[in-house]
Amino acid sequence: MVNFNGVGGGTILYAAHFPRLHPSDFRVKTLDGVADDWPVDYDRLEPYFATNDRMMGVSGLAGDPMYPPKQPPLPPIPLGLVGQTIARGYNKLGWHWWPSDSAIISRPYEGRDQCLNLGPCTSGCSQGAKSSVDITYWPQALRAGVEVRTRHRVREITLNDAGMADGVIYYDADGVERFQKAEVVVMACNGVGTPRILLNSKSTAFPDGLANSSGQVGKNLMFHPMGFVQGIFAERLDSHKGPQGCCILSKEFYETDLSRGFVRGYNMQITRGGGPLVTALQGLATGKIPWGPGHHEAFARRFDHVGSIGVLCEDLPEPHNTVTLDPDLTDADGIPSPRITYQLSDNSRAMLKHGLDRGEEVLEAAGAVEISRVDLLKNAGWHLLGTARMGNDPATSVVNSWGRSHDVKNLFIVDGSIFVTSGGVNPTSTIQALALYIADTMKKNLSNLFD
Amino acid sequence: MPTQIIATDHPLTPSEQQILAALLDTLLPATEDGRMPSAADLDLVGYLAESAPEIVPQLAGIVGCFDQTFTGLSLEDRYALVTDFSQTQPHLFEPLLRHTYTCYYQDERVLIGIGLSGSPPFPTGNTVEAGDLSLLDAVVSKTRSYRK
Repeated sequence: MVNFNGVGGGTILYAAHFPRLHPSDFRVKTLDGVADDWPVDYDRLEPYFATNDRMMGVSGLAGDPMYPPKQPPLPPIPLGLVGQTIARGYNKLGWHWWPSDSAIISRPYEGRDQCLNLGPCTSGCSQGAKSSVDITYWPQALRAGVEVRTRHRVREITLNDAGMADGVIYYDADGVERFQKAEVVVMACNGVGTPRILLNSKSTAFPDGLANSSGQVGKNLMFHPMGFVQGIFAERLDSHKGPQGCCILSKEFYETDLSRGFVRGYNMQITRGGGPLVTALQGLATGKIPWGPGHHEAFARRFDHVGSIGVLCEDLPEPHNTVTLDPDLTDADGIPSPRITYQLSDNSRAMLKHGLDRGEEVLEAAGAVEISRVDLLKNAGWHLLGTARMGNDPATSVVNSWGRSHDVKNLFIVDGSIFVTSGGVNPTSTIQALALYIADTMKKNLSNLFD
Repeated sequence: MPTQIIATDHPLTPSEQQILAALLDTLLPATEDGRMPSAADLDLVGYLAESAPEIVPQLAGIVGCFDQTFTGLSLEDRYALVTDFSQTQPHLFEPLLRHTYTCYYQDERVLIGIGLSGSPPFPTGNTVEAGDLSLLDAVVSKTRSYRK
């Protein structure tokens, strides 16, 4: 599992693959009889998706039949030889594909210069073309007067006698305990950090953790189980050029078809190859590029000759997948560490196998001369979702339809923990749209915000 | 009196340097056409001193696992010995290999050898063709839609 802290959060390290959840993702109980429907739907969030695309700077192509109409503000990032080659494979099979929505600017935008196709995006973007929050939202927030305090850790949220949150206790960069008074507390710590703080904010009123009368805080942790298939092609594809994680995607198997042996579906994310060193080190780890006399031949066969398909599966909420507080382990400030308990479901396993099998078919159709697969990427716990879920019923959810705690009327959550279900796509676009929606709803309800 | 004196600030004696060179040449030998250099042709020690100084003190221990006869063996024989070393001393071998790769694939001669410019692509960038979006005709011509 990856739990990253920094100004800009996970967007500092993400690949910027930026699909939205689908309309059906908000109605899984109604459509498929599993999990729960969300208390909001795609139409409600659509204006906020669009605003967020403009705020972040998203490149893409309108017209994808697998989504309601949308217009990315910037043209798509280049397909390159990898994208075209694998797209032809999808076309041979008659399956859907489309240029990915990418939080990477393909043209100069809002004072930032366009992507230079350097390759890896997950180590940060020296060009500033990757739309990470530190260079999109934060400059505007700072100009509006927001103060950011870095290297501070919140230990707990405090309550007053009226049962309202009145501030947070935190440790500053020197480890000194401090208190920040607050009229409203908004949490944006995602699926591990948010339940960690809530569970650590115990009081007489909330002995099991703040805002946890439902018992749902820390429950229903969802990742996106992921595997990938990689194809080696005889022709050179210049694989290391262009945003590695953003190229094209396929939603052919996104919606439920029970004849496949599982419910819900997955996204296929076509990715490019790594640079020379990454290629060599990954080849070393997989045994495909050995050291010694055979090294150069094996390296040349793979470098710039690969195209991969990541299969990202919807993970359904299950109460036994949890974030709890470790009874012994703490961080450097003595705050209890989160303990993660997670078991991959049979449904996810079946979905992943189906996706990888289909990925192999695509690569074969595209002309790959060698295909390999990773059945389950074990370090792919990047998307941390569901541990303080939204809902209309206070007995079964932590926050209401606009992110306000059912229990504490001036406590809001605007991160991935409020996801009811995970969908089968990268969650950042939807997290940000939800945050804008919640902020806008707060603004519209200022006169009776705590009623 | 020690039999060998380190006369420079190099952390290895001349004979140790010869063993290290033979070891590196075994890990990543040159290609016969001269396109790719041997890892022994690179300044691994200089790279480590700058980028991974914690490894430098281990070098003497690594080369100490081989004797001088190692330098005169064929690549095939050296490969067999290093394979054995990798299995019996993985805590020494694996960091050396990883850093050798890291040094190697940042070297200008190597990058040119694999068909790239010898310098980093920033700030000029790489050119990637936009691609043929008419390939999407096959997608949009097929009736399909999202579920509401």
